[in-house]
Amino acid sequence: MHIPDGIVPVQIGIGGYVVTGLITWYSLRQINRMKDPMQGVPKAALLTTAFFVASLIHLPIPPASVHLVLNGMLGCVLGYYAFPAILIGLFFQAVTFGHGGLSTLGINGLIMGIPALLAYHLFQLRQTFGRQLKPRLAFGLFAFLAGTFSLGLSALIFFTIVIVTIPSNLDAATERAAVFTLLLAHIPLALIEGTFTAMLVLFLERVKPELLQGEW
Amino acid sequence: MGIRLNLDTHTNGDSPIHCWRPAQKLIGLGVLVFAFAAVQDLRLVPAMLLVTGGLYAASGLPVSLLLNRFRYPGFFLLGIILLLPFVSGGTVVWQWGILALRQEGCITVLLITARFFSILTLGLILLGTTPFVTLVRTMRSLGLPPVLADMTLLSYRYLYDIADNLATMQTAMRLRGFSNRTRKGLLLPNGQTLKQLAALAGSLLIRSYEQAEQVYQAMRLRGYTLQNSKFKTQSSKFKTLSWSTTALFLTLLVAASFVIAEFLL
Repeated sequence: MHIPDGIVPVQIGIGGYVVTGLITWYSLRQINRMKDPMQGVPKAALLTTAFFVASLIHLPIPPASVHLVLNGMLGCVLGYYAFPAILIGLFFQAVTFGHGGLSTLGINGLIMGIPALLAYHLFQLRQTFGRQLKPRLAFGLFAFLAGTFSLGLSALIFFTIVIVTIPSNLDAATERAAVFTLLLAHIPLALIEGTFTAMLVLFLERVKPELLQGEW
Repeated sequence: MGIRLNLDTHTNGDSPIHCWRPAQKLIGLGVLVFAFAAVQDLRLVPAMLLVTGGLYAASGLPVSLLLNRFRYPGFFLLGIILLLPFVSGGTVVWQWGILALRQEGCITVLLITARFFSILTLGLILLGTTPFVTLVRTMRSLGLPPVLADMTLLSYRYLYDIADNLATMQTAMRLRGFSNRTRKGLLLPNGQTLKQLAALAGSLLIRSYEQAEQVYQAMRLRGYTLQNSKFKTQSSKFKTLSWSTTALFLTLLVAASFVIAEFLL
């Protein structure tokens, strides 16, 4: 779900950088308000790399296999560090594999980063709405919602940008139908991503719960 | 830093682009990338390709590096190239049954392909002639927030360490009898496999987290703070400031010419 160079109009590319800059500024402001922002930098950096590497794990989904996006999981673990982490991951992907691009780094950052930040807040809701549930159930449920929602939202933003900006003969109704159809096709993947996120969160909750506490 | 991205293998050259000061090179090529992204007129494509080819030739990077880069055009781009000539525009130039090849779609595909090729090549020139660490330090000196710069440098430092960790863990799993078992049904992953892969990803995160604790302690002992990272990006191989500034000026002039031509044509 990366937009390569040269596909979208330059205004979208520049606009993407501007909005990404604003969200990065907001994220960094939140990070600087933390008890010890410096302490979080190495942790966020190494976890960024670990997520980048973990996203290369292929899940066997017959008849093919898919790789994970993990932006929801990134939000659950990294909180406000998630947006800078995604920018760095996308930069590495553009540099090492040629996925995405340098002129579209901003817009790709929005496609992956906004859902990650929302997933973080969704995951935090377990502390408010999950009190009636058993702790493990609350962790699993909200992680599943965060993982599913973030991939679904990323797909929605991606297809909307691509279909609306690429010139075609399609009228508005057909464009909407195309976005809706492509989104429907991604529902199974979003559910698998959500399931994997829930399993991963439950594993961390059992083995290293401080990773999910969010306060570094 | 011992770890190098594949691109770093060509950064020790002495071509004019290698010797161009990193800050001026980053600004010049960055502006040119966006000027190329703004090209909408097919008549500007030959000039764009000429400038790209000229810069690549001046960089002295091998053609094999460029060809290797285009091994990954991506299914998405391929899909657009195959689909657009049949759905975009109203002027039919060839028809076979319900399939109609449209002129506007073909022009759009040519523009997208040319822009993609040129921008990717400019990115390769930038990254292929500047060591990655120097590039991040230059961005830091141009105003990249210290948190972002330090995270990028640390991520880069541990990228292959963590990738090696994953490879080792995957080998260990296979030696213990793990295989990617699949169900017979379409689109249904095996729950047990999913759980084991989640444990694999989780172990990777925990190892990285624990390693980060040690890294943080070591950094503190060496007096690390977020504000004190003053980087020196000068090197004896870089040409004089006036040469680098002239090259920057020329690049900006070329970029401005493309934007102005786009308005006028």
